Amino acid sequence: MDFLSLLKEKEILLFDGAMGTELMRRGLKLGEVPDKWNIDHPEVIREIFEQYYKAGSDLVQTATFRANGVALEKYGIQNLLEDINKSSGKILRSICPPNKCVIGDIGPSGEFLPPVGNASINDLKKGFQKQARALAPFIDAWHIETFSDIQEMKAAILAVQIESNKPIIASMTYKKTPKGYFTVMGNSLIDCVSELIDSGVAVIGSNCTLSSSDFIELVRVMRVTAPKFPLSIKPNAGNPQLENGKSVYKQTPEDFAKDIKQILEHDGQIVGGCCGTGPTHIQLLRDIIDRLTGG
Amino acid sequence: MDSIYEEMAASVVELDMEKAKSLAQKALDEQLPLLEAIEKGFGEGIKRVGNLWDAGEFFLPELMRGAQVMQEAVDIITPHLEEGSRARETKGKVVMATIEGDIHTIGKTIVATMLKANGFEVIDLGADVKAEDIIAEAVKHRADLIGVSALLTTTMIGQKKIIELLEQQGIRDKFKVILGGAPVTSKWVEECKADGYAENAVAAVTKAKQLLGLS
Repeated sequence: MDFLSLLKEKEILLFDGAMGTELMRRGLKLGEVPDKWNIDHPEVIREIFEQYYKAGSDLVQTATFRANGVALEKYGIQNLLEDINKSSGKILRSICPPNKCVIGDIGPSGEFLPPVGNASINDLKKGFQKQARALAPFIDAWHIETFSDIQEMKAAILAVQIESNKPIIASMTYKKTPKGYFTVMGNSLIDCVSELIDSGVAVIGSNCTLSSSDFIELVRVMRVTAPKFPLSIKPNAGNPQLENGKSVYKQTPEDFAKDIKQILEHDGQIVGGCCGTGPTHIQLLRDIIDRLTGG
Repeated sequence: MDSIYEEMAASVVELDMEKAKSLAQKALDEQLPLLEAIEKGFGEGIKRVGNLWDAGEFFLPELMRGAQVMQEAVDIITPHLEEGSRARETKGKVVMATIEGDIHTIGKTIVATMLKANGFEVIDLGADVKAEDIIAEAVKHRADLIGVSALLTTTMIGQKKIIELLEQQGIRDKFKVILGGAPVTSKWVEECKADGYAENAVAAVTKAKQLLGLS
């Protein structure tokens, strides 16, 4: 379905939860590139997508977080870029109910611009463009997420805008410092939000790094800077800890849902979960949203 | 003397490359105790940069720039160290890498930078390195310490593999092993039977010194 119409129609849209942690639960091994499961184990990817739609997600994103040109080159599988992206897009499109959306997921390159690294903005942009071109035929909107450098984010936005006219959700990832929310590169939340408004995206978001309780304040600051803009948030389910070789998220799905409820009572148009969240979290959010909107 | 050391430290904190280089040259021209100039001057500066990073005052670009300023100043002084006074003693040799399957380099690079700045010899193997290769390099370089980073919960299991392989090869006692990365906790370190972990780069330096009996 058309993303902007859905956004207009519904007060609150429910995004999906994590992909990586769901793949781990299904046997993703050390050294494997999760995105490659789109072609090696399409049935597993399909099952996870289906679970999220079934749990109540309005928006589910492709399993293509690392499937941009630069990141895949680092893994030595850049030749699989088209196959990975197209397979993920095709699977998700084939099971997407008519009143819901397919979101094309784009994550950071993993490279850094000077002075931290030696990447060139042009190479990063080209890498994102290749991914956007492969995903474009299947999606209703884009989610460019987990970026910590606003320059790289702007390069990705531009790359997507060249390849597609579909709306963009742009999510930076912030850490909490004594002086407020900043990315690890030192971009402040306020600066990022203003730059994103100027870049022509449809929704401004934030995901990962912080847990749901930290997002309560973060959303307040975002709202002050962007009074009328649609906001999207995907917090982590607390911080992961490994016990007996398995990652454990100490925060319960119920605690996560309670924080999101607090955010939604005041603000937020699009909510979902990042690392550590699964169908249980999404189902709890569905109930909360339905109660809040009388749906 | 202390005031020039303070100026050197300040040049690193202010990320002022020209000032740092000219102070390094001044140390040579005025025949200052060079080792002291590195330790009390530029070394003190990078420690402060590390503290500012931990306090959320500095971010990645400032941290990396600070390390570059420190490095270039020290590079001016180092060739002259061996001539006169004793060479700057290395605090120990560290082989570092981000584990197989994980391409995250920020945390590992920050720790490597801080260790280097604090007098350790660091062999940085980069990211996505197999456990077997990390061990082979540690053996080859006769490292004192192995540092393994993992940011993903999917890859941190590889940190455990390092210890298991060292045990299998009967060389566990040759190295101290420290783990790093956002999801790593003291409990995980215990479970892996590693020697330690640190919450941040400054703590990593303290931990490395402590493990090698330097503090």
